[in-house]
Amino acid sequence: MKGRYPIRRTLEYLQKGEIIFRNKVKIMTVNYNTHGELSEGARKFVFFNIPQIQYKNPWVQIMMFKNMTPSPFLKFYLDDGEQVLVDVEGKDYKRISQHVKKILGKTEEVLQAEAQAKMQASNPANFGPKKYCLRECICEVEGQVPCPSTTPLPKEMTGKYRAKMAESQE
Amino acid sequence: MFRVIGGRSVQAVRLLAPRSAVLVEAVRGRKSRNDPVAKSKEGRIKVPPPVDPVEMVVLKERYSEYELILRALRLEFKEEVLRKKYEEETGSQAEERARQEKEEHRALMDWNDQENLQMLKARILRIQKEEEEAESKTVEAAIQREEELQEFIRQKEKEILQLQEEAKNFITLENLDQRIEEALDNPKNYNFAIDKEGSVVKRTVLQ
Repeated sequence: MKGRYPIRRTLEYLQKGEIIFRNKVKIMTVNYNTHGELSEGARKFVFFNIPQIQYKNPWVQIMMFKNMTPSPFLKFYLDDGEQVLVDVEGKDYKRISQHVKKILGKTEEVLQAEAQAKMQASNPANFGPKKYCLRECICEVEGQVPCPSTTPLPKEMTGKYRAKMAESQE
Repeated sequence: MFRVIGGRSVQAVRLLAPRSAVLVEAVRGRKSRNDPVAKSKEGRIKVPPPVDPVEMVVLKERYSEYELILRALRLEFKEEVLRKKYEEETGSQAEERARQEKEEHRALMDWNDQENLQMLKARILRIQKEEEEAESKTVEAAIQREEELQEFIRQKEKEILQLQEEAKNFITLENLDQRIEEALDNPKNYNFAIDKEGSVVKRTVLQ
């Protein structure tokens, strides 16, 4: 694979991301330095965790600024204009991600409730338009009678034949 | 021959006659305006399907009742969905939830501020320490330079003394004659012999 740590580009790695922001968070800004011991945690955070965060929150704008301030920090811009500052000087990247998850991430219970609601809303037993249900007709299921538009039904199953048989019997 | 119409023109047309569910209009199919009628259809008179008045009355009754019920059901369901949505957004529970969320958010922001303060304190300490270290380093460097200077001066003094010592034995214009006399009186023999074992013999014959 191309690049260093190409595992960051695999779907499996991205889907393992833990930080899902609350609906209030709109913009995330990371200010860090490319050299220096104190920015090491921030650099690792940007390198490893930002792809996961962006994958899980496609509607949050994430911007990176390099070598603009002497010390690294994160800034979050919320819906109601509030700005949340997180100082990350000298911190470990794992600690940074835990911190962010604690203050602005959706909690486990909220996530589970949402998953439940989604499951309840979409019943796999329903048949209907592809937009709302899995299948439109029983002919799409493997092992069932195929659609008569592709292969004609055997004569005994057609309504025409059955009507003729019923008539001839009476 | 008939075509279903839909779109922006439908809303206006729907106000006119048709009460049916689907709006159809006649459309010229395969033949154009001036084509003659087909031979098999020359004497054809279009006759609408026969209607039994009794059946018509009964059917009209039943259909009106049926449509009424169906329309009522549809509106009921629509209303239920709207009501649910309204409850979701501006119900009593929604307010509770919003308040709780606000409180939690407040608590988390406070915790975050605490963390930031701690980082600030740590940073101040670190900067102070660095400043002190830099100061002590400069002081030490100054002392070092002083030391080196002193050393240099001492070295130079030693050399001067040594030179002074040697100056006593120099040959000058005054004692030139004397020294020549001395040199001629005491011939110095620089020759020496060495054997295979490496022992040096300095007492040799001068020629």
